Amino acid sequence: MFEIAFGDSGEVICQGRLDAAQSEKAEAFMSELREDRTLDFEQLEYISSAGLAILLKTQKRLSESGAALKIVNVNKHIHDIFRYSGFTAIFEIETK
Amino acid sequence: MTEQYFSRTVDNVGAVYRFAEDLLEAADIHEAVRFPIHLALEELFVNLVTYNTAGSKDILIDVEIHDGGVTVTMTDFEAEDFDVTRSRGVDIEASLAERKPGGLGLHLIQHMVDTLQYEHRDHRSRIRFTKEAQQGDV
Repeated sequence: MFEIAFGDSGEVICQGRLDAAQSEKAEAFMSELREDRTLDFEQLEYISSAGLAILLKTQKRLSESGAALKIVNVNKHIHDIFRYSGFTAIFEIETK
Repeated sequence: MTEQYFSRTVDNVGAVYRFAEDLLEAADIHEAVRFPIHLALEELFVNLVTYNTAGSKDILIDVEIHDGGVTVTMTDFEAEDFDVTRSRGVDIEASLAERKPGGLGLHLIQHMVDTLQYEHRDHRSRIRFTKEAQQGDV
């Protein structure tokens, strides 16, 4: 189960498990982002390489117009994945 | 039951997760072990399904629990030789402009599980990986 939606302050709220079977849903939402955005991972339990590919693709596209994603409330396990992937150097990330 | 066959579709990653999670939850396996086990299961299952399109037989997954740790064996009965233990040369220090989406799955599991073994014989691939509980996890 994975859900993605805008929060009250314009942040992007991700919930559940972002696995390969849910990546299409995430990509459809993320491809519409056009400006600086904060992704709130407070309720995101899990992400695999399929989700990482979408984050990277979005960050690359936004960077062409000077915008960027910021990711907040990241749990320890997802942060480990970000660290092993080198994402801590190309995203602004805040842990829980 | 600690083993189950899964048909070759990416949509089955949810069923693979549920199968393993039920066993890990029943054995009270710590989250620090569960997370990398689920990650490795998904990445390897998707890899087998996506890159071995010639295969038609279901993939067998066996989950064995021991002293807070977990061993998973995945068998693809109709597979090309593809060594999942080999480094894929992902440059995680490249700049954003140089990074290309994709290719991180095997890189991640090679870092997150404790052991990862692969053998290919008579068109059959067998992948086995383990994750042990660390002090304080149990």
